[in-house]
Amino acid sequence: MECEVVIADLLNFIAADEPGDTAFDTLALKIFAYQFEYNQSFAKFIRARGKTPRTVKTWVDIPAVPINAFKTLDLTCCPPVDAAAVFMTSGTTLGGLRGKNYHPTLRVYDASMRRNFADRVMLGQTQMDMGILFPTTAMMPNSSLAHYLNLAVQEFGTPASGHLIDEDFINFDRLIAELTRAETTGRPYTLLGASFSLVHALDELQRRGQTVRLPAGSSILDTGGFKGQSRELELNEFYDALSRAFGVPRNRCINMYGMTELSTQFYDNGNNVCPSIKSGPHWIKTRVVNPLTGVAVAKGETGVLAHTDLANFNSVMTLLTEDSGIETDDGFVLLGRAAGAQAQGCSMAVDEFLKAAGAA
Amino acid sequence: MIAMPERAGYLPGLDPDSVQWEPRSYGPSDASLSVLLPVLESSQIAAVAEHVRIQSAAHLKALSVCQIVDAIDRAVARLLDRNDPYRRRMDSLLPVITGYDPHMVQQGLTGYLKTFRKPQLQRFLAEDFANPTILDGFQPLTKGGFGQAFGPDVLAHIWAGNVPGLPMWSLVAGLLVKAGNVGKVSSAEPLFAGWFAQVLSEVEPALAECLAIVWWRGGDTAPETTLFQQADLALGYGNNESLSAIQSRYPSTKRFLSYGHKVSFTMVSAAALDASKATATARLAAYDIVRYDQQGCYSPHMLFVEQGGSVTPERFAQYLAHELAAFEKKFPLRSLTMAETSSIAIWRNVEEMTQGGQVFGEEAGAWTVSYQSEDNTFLPSALNRTIRVVSVGALEDVSAIVAPFKNLLQTVGIAASPKELFSLATTLGAVGVTRICAVGDMTTPEAGWHHDGRFNLLDLVAITEIDGRAELAADRLASYVD
Repeated sequence: MECEVVIADLLNFIAADEPGDTAFDTLALKIFAYQFEYNQSFAKFIRARGKTPRTVKTWVDIPAVPINAFKTLDLTCCPPVDAAAVFMTSGTTLGGLRGKNYHPTLRVYDASMRRNFADRVMLGQTQMDMGILFPTTAMMPNSSLAHYLNLAVQEFGTPASGHLIDEDFINFDRLIAELTRAETTGRPYTLLGASFSLVHALDELQRRGQTVRLPAGSSILDTGGFKGQSRELELNEFYDALSRAFGVPRNRCINMYGMTELSTQFYDNGNNVCPSIKSGPHWIKTRVVNPLTGVAVAKGETGVLAHTDLANFNSVMTLLTEDSGIETDDGFVLLGRAAGAQAQGCSMAVDEFLKAAGAA
Repeated sequence: MIAMPERAGYLPGLDPDSVQWEPRSYGPSDASLSVLLPVLESSQIAAVAEHVRIQSAAHLKALSVCQIVDAIDRAVARLLDRNDPYRRRMDSLLPVITGYDPHMVQQGLTGYLKTFRKPQLQRFLAEDFANPTILDGFQPLTKGGFGQAFGPDVLAHIWAGNVPGLPMWSLVAGLLVKAGNVGKVSSAEPLFAGWFAQVLSEVEPALAECLAIVWWRGGDTAPETTLFQQADLALGYGNNESLSAIQSRYPSTKRFLSYGHKVSFTMVSAAALDASKATATARLAAYDIVRYDQQGCYSPHMLFVEQGGSVTPERFAQYLAHELAAFEKKFPLRSLTMAETSSIAIWRNVEEMTQGGQVFGEEAGAWTVSYQSEDNTFLPSALNRTIRVVSVGALEDVSAIVAPFKNLLQTVGIAASPKELFSLATTLGAVGVTRICAVGDMTTPEAGWHHDGRFNLLDLVAITEIDGRAELAADRLASYVD
C-alpha cells in the first residue's frame, strides 16, 4: 500500500462531514495494516502483544503503544531521514530522552489542525486578530506546539496578528499595546499560548496594575499546563484570573489538550466549569482504560486515556498516554498525570528516587 | 464492615470533648472503616507536650531502665496474645486501613512484636550501652570519671507511611532513654501507636501520662512549630522532600534525626543457583518482595543474579515469577489505586522496551518480573511486587553499579557462601549499604539493628560526665578529710 493512498484517504476522511463509525473503523484497519507493514518497531510491538492484522478485527483491538516508546524506538513508516518534520517532546522525564514523532509530510497534520481549529476555536469566523505567547517555529523547529500556533496565525490570523515573543521572553509592551488596540477598535482578539506564558502575562499585568476589557467575541486559548515554568494555579483560579485580567468570559477561555505524539488536538468548549470536558473531531477516538490490561474501565470511573488518531498515520495510531481521565457523554475529563504514585511506606517510588538521585 | 468509629491518638491531659475530631474512611466502599482523627491546635499541642514533660519528669525518669523494659515487655506480651482486645483490633482493622493482606499483617505483627520482648529489648540496650544502667545513674567510664546518659525531656516523633507498627521503633527507643514522647501519626495508618500507648498505660499506670499520640492536618505547620518548640529533640520519617521541608522549619539549635526513604536490593550468587538450591532461593527472594507489597525501606527493588551457576539468571527470573505467582494465591496483593496501576504499566513498558529486556507478569499487575540481560542500571521498581532482575558477571561488580546512590541505600539481601558474604559486605558497606541479611529476612530486621546505620538509643541521649579529677578534687573537700 502506498503512503500516498493513505494520505489521500485521510484527507478525504478529515474533510468529510460525519463519516460515521463504520468508515472510521474501515480506515483505522487500513492504516493499521499499513503501519504493520512499514513500521518495523510497531510491528514488533504488535507481535509481542500476540496480535497481527488478521486478529485485529476492529480499531478497539489494536494494542495501544505507550508514549514512552516514542523515546526509545523509531516509530515511523517512512525512513527517519525522509521525514519532512520531526516533532520532539521536551525530554523532562526519564533519562532526558525525547520522544520523536516523524512526519513524512505535514499535509495531514495541517489539515487535521485546520478543520478542528476552525470548528472549535474560530466558531464560524474566518479570520481574527491573534497574538501568540509562544516561540516561533524558527526558534523551536522541533516543537509541535510552535508549528500548531504558527499555522493558527497563518491560516486564521489577520495581517495584524503575530507572535508576541522576542528571543525567549514575552514582549509585554507589545502585548499590552495589542490588547489596548483591540479595546479601542472593538475587534475581537484571540490570545493563544502556553498556559505558563499566560500566567507570566497575568503577573505582568498585575505588576503594572493593568486590566484589559477585550471586546465581545474575544477568546483565550491555553495549552500544556504550567510545567514548573510559572506559578502553579488551581484551574478555577487560573480561569478566574484570565477572565478578570482580560475581560474574556470563562466560557471563551478554551484549553487545548495536545501531544507531540499525536497529530490531532482536543478542545473544551470553554472553562465555565473545571475540569472541563474535552473532545476531538471525528478522526480521533479516546478510550479510558486500565493501563495494564488495555480494557476500558466502566464509564464514570477513572482510568488512563488511550487515543486512536487516524491522522497519526506515519507513527502509531493508537497510543497509551500517561494521563488519567474519566469518560463522559460528550468526551472525557482530563484529570492529570496518571502515575506519580508515592510509596505508601518508607520505600521510594520512581519519581522520588530520580529526584533524590539527581540531587545526590 | 460498619462499626463504631475508631478514635486515633492518645491524649493524656486533654479533655477529648475539647478536641475536634475529623472522620476519615479507609478501605473499599463495601468494607469501609471510619476513623476519627484528633485535629489538634497549637495550644492543645503545647498543653499535651507540657503535660508529658512534667509527668515523665516525675514518673518515667524515676523508673529504672530495667523497670521500663519490664513494662514494655508486659505490653508486648499482651499484644502477642491473639485474644487480647487490642491485638484483635490490630488484626482486624490494620488490614482495612493499609489494604495489606490480613494474614500477612497478622503474621507480620507477631514477628515484629517478638523483637520487642524483654530479651530483645536487653539486646537493644546492650547494642548501644556497654552498661545500660548508665541511663539510671552515673557509672564509671573506661577513660576515667563517671557518666550518665540523659534522654530528652520531650522527644517529638513525626511518623509517615502505612507499614504497620513502624511508630513502635522510635517510641520504644524514646521510652528506654526515659524521654517524654509526643508522636504524630500518619493518616495512612493512624491507629497502631495509640493502641500501643493505651496498652502500655494499662500494664504500667506510671507510664500512662508520659507519652502522647497526636495528629494535625497535613499542611498545617502551626502545631508542628509548637511541638518543635516544646521538644528537646525530634525525629522524622518520610520522603526526602517532606523531611527537608520539616527540617527547614525546625530550630537550628536543636538536633533533628531524619529517617528518609531508602531503597534496598537482593544479590544471588552462583553458589545459590544449582538445581537443588535455586527454587528455595527464589522463594525466599519472592517473600521479601511480597511482604508489605515492597512498601518498606528494606524491601528489594532490584535483584542482581550472578552468571555461571547451573541455573542461568534468566531462568532464575522465571523461577522468581513462579514463586510470586504462588504467593499471590497465599497473600494477594492489596487493591491498587489507578495511580499505582499506571506506575506499574509505565514501568513495565519501559522495562519491556529496554534492549535485552523481557517482562513476565500477571496481566492485571499482581506481580511483575522484568529480566534484563544487557542493561544493569540501578533503577527502582514500580513497587507493589515489581522487580527488576539483572544478570551480572560477578557479584563484586554490584557495588560499582549502586555506588552513585550512596545516600539512598539501606538493606541488601544476599544468598551467597560465607566467604562471599563477608567480602561483599566490605565493598557494600563502603558504598553506603547499612544492613546485610539473608535473602528472605530483608523485611524483618533483628532486634537492636542499627537503623540506617545509626545508633537508635545513643543518638537520643546526651552523656553528662564527671571528669575523673572532679572526684579527687571533691575528696579534698570531704568533711571526713584528715
